[in-house]
Amino acid sequence: MTSRSKKVMATRFEQLSAGDAIEGPEFAVTRESIRLFCDASLDYNPLHLDDDYMKGNFGKTNFGGIIMHGMNNFGLISRMITDWAYPAGAIHRRLETRWIKPVRPGDTIQPKGIIRSKHTTARSRWVLLDVMVRNQTGDKVATGEAMVEFPAA
Amino acid sequence: MEQAESFETDFWKHANLRKLWDDIIPGQPRQTIPYTLTRDAIELYCASVGEDHPMYFDEDYARTTVHGGLIAPPSIHILLMFACTPADDWMRSPGTVNAGQSWSYNVPARPGDVITLQARALDKFIKRERLFVVHDNVFFNQHGEVICSGRGWTIRPQ
Repeated sequence: MTSRSKKVMATRFEQLSAGDAIEGPEFAVTRESIRLFCDASLDYNPLHLDDDYMKGNFGKTNFGGIIMHGMNNFGLISRMITDWAYPAGAIHRRLETRWIKPVRPGDTIQPKGIIRSKHTTARSRWVLLDVMVRNQTGDKVATGEAMVEFPAA
Repeated sequence: MEQAESFETDFWKHANLRKLWDDIIPGQPRQTIPYTLTRDAIELYCASVGEDHPMYFDEDYARTTVHGGLIAPPSIHILLMFACTPADDWMRSPGTVNAGQSWSYNVPARPGDVITLQARALDKFIKRERLFVVHDNVFFNQHGEVICSGRGWTIRPQ
């Protein structure tokens, strides 16, 4: 389902600069991966299980078939951040995401993060990242921002 | 204590008991259920998103790290949210669409933790002809420490 993450960016606070990027591994979305996420998250909303239900309209929206949990995107972004932060002794402190497009079985998605800025506060050091998930055609399916703490040595 | 083994997976079953958008009172606490986080539950969650860091699986390795033992990945609140939510709660209404969430992390959750949730609807509004409810959540471990806190924007089916 996934390959190991690539290390594409230095992890010392001093060496990081705006525009530096990290990537997580590609994730192949299947009916089975969505079902596994139901079992793992205990979220059995029929949005993710029931094709007949998904033929109907949701207020203004028709999805046409089951969709991946939005929080699966969140989990992939979170994994990318921690896999990058752990070796530096850095701590994943915050993640905010919005869903842009539904993700369906057959899609392949990949998370990416780009450093927006660095900040030093009274007691610690912080890196802010813009994060996103794209599908196989390059469309953004999720966007957001993250905050990683690099405790002063 | 209700646990994953007895978790009701048919979200239609209690649909008639659940609050509609009209009934939800911003500020009113939600009833929640304490949940004991297990290694099995962490490993299943990790498998579902491809988490493979030894911090979550390898006790000998985890003991050598700053955490001093196994932890769960930060995004384990995705599981905790439903594990701590009773079957008749509006968070489980079929067709609830999650529009986005934000989470802040304090201490990691660990296998064996007995986790409690303090939660409420914080706000409700109508935008672009859709019915929104904002939910507000804080997870605590058995020592009273905050694990994480977060907010979510949901679009209600009715």
